[in-house]
Amino acid sequence: MYKKLHSHIGYSISLFLILAFGLIIVALSSSNRPLQMIEVTIVTIFYIFWGILHHLVNHDLNMKIVIEYILVGCIGLSMVLFILKGGFGL
Amino acid sequence: MNSILQYFLPHENNNYRAKLLHHKSLLFVLIIIFCASFLIPALRFNFPSVLGISADISSQKLLLLVNQEREANGLSPLILNEKLSVAAVNKAKDMFAKNYWAHNSPDGKTSWWVFIKSSGYNYVYAGENLARGFDNTDNVVNAWMESPLHRANLLSQNYKDVGFAIEEGKLSGEDTVLVVQELGGQNPASLAYNPPKNSVKAVSTVSNKDYAVKGSLISSLSLSSLIDKTILYIFIAVLTLDMIVVERKKIVRFVGHNTDHISFFAMLIILIGILNKGVIV
Repeated sequence: MYKKLHSHIGYSISLFLILAFGLIIVALSSSNRPLQMIEVTIVTIFYIFWGILHHLVNHDLNMKIVIEYILVGCIGLSMVLFILKGGFGL
Repeated sequence: MNSILQYFLPHENNNYRAKLLHHKSLLFVLIIIFCASFLIPALRFNFPSVLGISADISSQKLLLLVNQEREANGLSPLILNEKLSVAAVNKAKDMFAKNYWAHNSPDGKTSWWVFIKSSGYNYVYAGENLARGFDNTDNVVNAWMESPLHRANLLSQNYKDVGFAIEEGKLSGEDTVLVVQELGGQNPASLAYNPPKNSVKAVSTVSNKDYAVKGSLISSLSLSSLIDKTILYIFIAVLTLDMIVVERKKIVRFVGHNTDHISFFAMLIILIGILNKGVIV
């Protein structure tokens, strides 16, 4: 497992930096909720593309993986929007 | 029992991938969150005393805590002023009406000092502190004290009077509680302060309308956060278990990297913590 993690270290660090950067910009925009929603959406899109790109580079990309990243991204995004808006509707 | 375990552990019966991580299950979770997003506002609308905004903030306690901070720094206590409180209420209502969260309105027509002036308070010195999304008075004052600019306002010897507004409403589609503090001084900078006896007690007896929000029994924001965090922790646990079992059994699969998803979900847990914190300007 460690060997496998080691082989992906560059990718893992870059993903970590994207997510950490996302956290920082959302925290800095604390007085602007609409901007926070846009930032979270952009970070999620980056996360999905970064994951797909990594599998593409490793030649193990298939449609199931693409759908998996999209679904995980959508779950994350819907959770944050759920919190920000306190629920949709009404 | 085995059928339940299949949702959490990789096994030959679930194609060596915990069922919770299958596309169908992910889609099901997504639908559940989507439904909850409609259900919670509906419950909030129909049972506002049970589910809604829950904030225990009062102007009397704000005054008490602010004056405690001032006294600890050798300053005279502020006196609750009705005109400044009216100015604060008007400011809060203006922010809700025009949907902004700042000292000056986005159209540039109303600056914060306009509300003080129109309330009839003739100031020589004036200042404003704002807070939103806090659930209790202590956290509001602590946040102001931790910010250098807000702290300077609270501990300025130029201010003698204060007014508060605690108003509940919708800002950018989000139900929230706004706290507005207007500070003023009608005379030039004060002289050296001689602490009065029982000054805190004296402040609490000021006859003034107490602007306060108590709110619902259950905070809808806390409930949303709890649902979110529970789902995220379950996913992180299942992804970690899935990763360990598959690595130990040396199973080759073509699926997304669990470490990616764990990192993403961990970021979301921190993010929810950030979003739940109150903010000040």
